[in-house]
Amino acid sequence: MIKFIRTVDYLSETIGKTFGWTVLVLTASTCYEVFRRYVMNDPTDWAFDMSYMLYGALFLMSGAYTLSKGGHVRGDFMYRKWQPRTQAKVDFVLYLLFFFPGVLALVFSGFFYGADAMRIQEVSVNSPVGVPVWPLKMIIFVAGITLVLQGLAELCRCILCIQNNEWLDRGDDVVELETALQQQFGKSEEGHKA
Amino acid sequence: MSDPIIALVMLGLFIVFIFLGFPIAFTLMAMGIMFGAYAYHTPGQALFDNNIFYLFTQNTFSVMNNDVLISIPLFLFMGYIIERANILDRLFESLQVSLRHVPGSMAVAALITCALFATATGIVGAVVTLMGLLALPSMLKAGYDQKLATGVIAAGGTLGILIPPSIMLIVYAATAGVSVVKLSAAAMVPGILLAGLYLVYVVTRVVINPSLAPKPKDVDDVGFLKAVQLLVTAFLPLAALIAVRYRIPQRREYGINEVKPQSDHSGQQE
Repeated sequence: MIKFIRTVDYLSETIGKTFGWTVLVLTASTCYEVFRRYVMNDPTDWAFDMSYMLYGALFLMSGAYTLSKGGHVRGDFMYRKWQPRTQAKVDFVLYLLFFFPGVLALVFSGFFYGADAMRIQEVSVNSPVGVPVWPLKMIIFVAGITLVLQGLAELCRCILCIQNNEWLDRGDDVVELETALQQQFGKSEEGHKA
Repeated sequence: MSDPIIALVMLGLFIVFIFLGFPIAFTLMAMGIMFGAYAYHTPGQALFDNNIFYLFTQNTFSVMNNDVLISIPLFLFMGYIIERANILDRLFESLQVSLRHVPGSMAVAALITCALFATATGIVGAVVTLMGLLALPSMLKAGYDQKLATGVIAAGGTLGILIPPSIMLIVYAATAGVSVVKLSAAAMVPGILLAGLYLVYVVTRVVINPSLAPKPKDVDDVGFLKAVQLLVTAFLPLAALIAVRYRIPQRREYGINEVKPQSDHSGQQE
């Protein structure tokens, strides 16, 4: 079970970090477009499509990575005071009740939505160059799959935690400079995790 | 059950499950689908023919190609770079050195740093924590009143969401379908006014009661030219960023107008 969790975590992390690079491409293409538009007075016809596509892919594909690091926003003022075992029980039930219906709906309806777009080789309406838009629609389906996998891993985490009364660690993540500074200043206050 | 009652039940359940501590994104998603499936249900229809699934993907896609929300990842990326570059530290140091003759110099420097930083980042947490680590220890060491020192940092940090560009304004603009540029323009004056009032308050209190903020003794007595040099080197990267930031919303507005001329007035088509 731990091996499964680690594998899925690794997969989500790889996907999340790979798509993280899109922000760099997004910055570069936007800068290039600004340059073309305002300096050369000759705007490109693909930059607008490119910007929202990169953003859409980034925002949907990082969902599983965020879940694997426990980064989704929780209203956890009661949650954090409970025993890990209680937390895991509540999470387990709510994952089954809430997470999977929603995410499975994303997978199935996203698949038909994307498949329709792929069948007609849908292109963007925003410019005459015909930027293909169906890969972006297909991403809904792919992101749904990654979320389902990560959700199964989270269920396994809950089961392990109910057995051991202790959460399995989530591996190292990028540390914010403030945390790094805290370590540097030797202060062990509660981490400022949002 | 009548429709308003169902809506109330949905709201109530939503609050209950948020309080249970489940991630808000998934709670919202499941609530929307379950209640939507109930609302769109027509007798004799298979579950997967329900309209809600179509609406669900439609809405997901409309968030994915929202041209206002693009700025959020870019924004975070910029904040990340500023954070790693440690500009805040240098800014505070140089301001503190150049303002050393002003009453309550460190508190004033902390406030100005917060306000300047608010023009570069759009969130509250980061500035408060960083200033709490950088400015608070030196203020307390210099014998500043604890209430004044912590209050200055907490108040200064919240300028982040008021002084544009701010993530809160972008999200609001995207949801309500109003212009980001107009919102930012509207928040500009109150933000600067508030920062100014904070400054006036701190200086006045220190003038009335100098024991609140004694002059730090161990500040290097640098010359005027050296202070100018410090300020310029610390400000330049931030000034460049601020200049760029104020170009981008304008560019985005033109971009929308060129591509979809109706967008400025009708807002988001959701």
